[in-house]
Amino acid sequence: MQTAHKHAGGGHDHEVAPTVEEITDFEVLEIAVRELAIEHGLFTAQDHRRFTEWAESVGPAAGSRLVAKAWTDPGFKARLLDDGVNACKEIGINWAEPTGFGTPSDYMNFRVLEDTPRLHHVIVCTLCSCYPRPVLGMSPEWYRSTNYRRRLVRWPREVLAEFGLILPPEVEIRVEDSNQKCRFMVLPVRPSGTENWTEEELAAIVTRDCMIGVALPRPGRTADVHPVHKARRPVHSSPPHGKAAE
Amino acid sequence: MSVKRNAALGRIALLEAIRSEGKAWDVIAPRYGVTNPDPPWKTSLIAMCECLSVSGTLPTLDRRRTEDELAAAVYSEVPAPERQLLALVHTLLSRGLVVEGDLASRMRTVRSRLEAV
Amino acid sequence: MKDKKTSKAPEKTDNAPARFKAGDRVRVKDLPNMFYSRTQMYARGVSGTIAARTYQDLIPEDEAFNRDGRLEQYYIVRFRQKDLWEEYPSEKDTLQTEFPDRWLEPV
Repeated sequence: MQTAHKHAGGGHDHEVAPTVEEITDFEVLEIAVRELAIEHGLFTAQDHRRFTEWAESVGPAAGSRLVAKAWTDPGFKARLLDDGVNACKEIGINWAEPTGFGTPSDYMNFRVLEDTPRLHHVIVCTLCSCYPRPVLGMSPEWYRSTNYRRRLVRWPREVLAEFGLILPPEVEIRVEDSNQKCRFMVLPVRPSGTENWTEEELAAIVTRDCMIGVALPRPGRTADVHPVHKARRPVHSSPPHGKAAE
Repeated sequence: MSVKRNAALGRIALLEAIRSEGKAWDVIAPRYGVTNPDPPWKTSLIAMCECLSVSGTLPTLDRRRTEDELAAAVYSEVPAPERQLLALVHTLLSRGLVVEGDLASRMRTVRSRLEAV
Repeated sequence: MKDKKTSKAPEKTDNAPARFKAGDRVRVKDLPNMFYSRTQMYARGVSGTIAARTYQDLIPEDEAFNRDGRLEQYYIVRFRQKDLWEEYPSEKDTLQTEFPDRWLEPV
């Protein structure tokens, strides 16, 4: 929900950001099933609160900071590639949260995949869309689709082309299928035209898609742009050379 | 390969009623000029999925597999966060972890409570 | 927070011999399909190279059925895409994914 307030002159009539004024059945359903689950002992309210706070705390800004720092500090880059979990602590990201031993989807085995001019990584989880949430936040819908999960391993160049990324044949494309407990993030090649940039300026061009490997960072590109689709096509059906993952 | 679980893929009346109301976030948020891409309950849903896995009730891989099956068979036209919510509840109902009648009743109670504010 | 299922950070243990090291050639076995196997069909029977050792942990099938597990070494294995898919057009492209020790055999 938007919470920004703008003060009009004179101290009266604050402009309040819009909110959804109705209570949908989805909202009611989520509360109701949660209450019943807690009452049936499926989990505790306390655990749920801790995980909710954790879910609200993670986002891709952390990953962007890791990349920007690795680009500007060779010592940090070496530590990041050697031990991802410990290097994350240097920017205040703790893979042990919120349980002390991570979450049942993210675990504590974070590995950064270093791109070079001849090697490009791209990440998928064919089994269930595992994703490095402590450093990238929640996964985008297209990453979770069976379309992406099935096609990226088999037709990576075609799928990347649908994202607008075409790499020459002499570049090795390496797909990382995160099927076990390791979680991965791409460390892209630092683009030219960013000499003498600050870490903040660099982080601004390292978007989520760059850290998954479906986009390359470049000056001026500060957002991932996708056509926004409703789930119109059944996610289980797609021909091998079909349209881009949604 | 996935075990045939046709009974678990049948439609559930309560969830069909919710779905047919048509009030997914990507439909209603624009009506009010709200630009947040996610519904306010999304992080709570995520937390619920994590808790169910930690407690052993519904491990992540199991939940995601049934979610994929339900997304294909039953909820293919539903937008992402609502699809995940419906698939989760569908799985809990089909495994007897929650009872449909209890859930319907609790929804009425919750709605009254929220609307009374 | 009480944990019943999530693996804790693996303790250092000597009871899980790591048969392979980076650079070794291995083949993915095609073991009988356990209900919750994480070994992809596309990798079964295919040979690749150990890219890295990752961690020691519970065997996932054991975890799914809630038995007190045996610990074993996990590895990232790198395959040529040409070895995974018939008629993959590029010689250069690769795919990496992770396996526990018991799913691998030396080539």
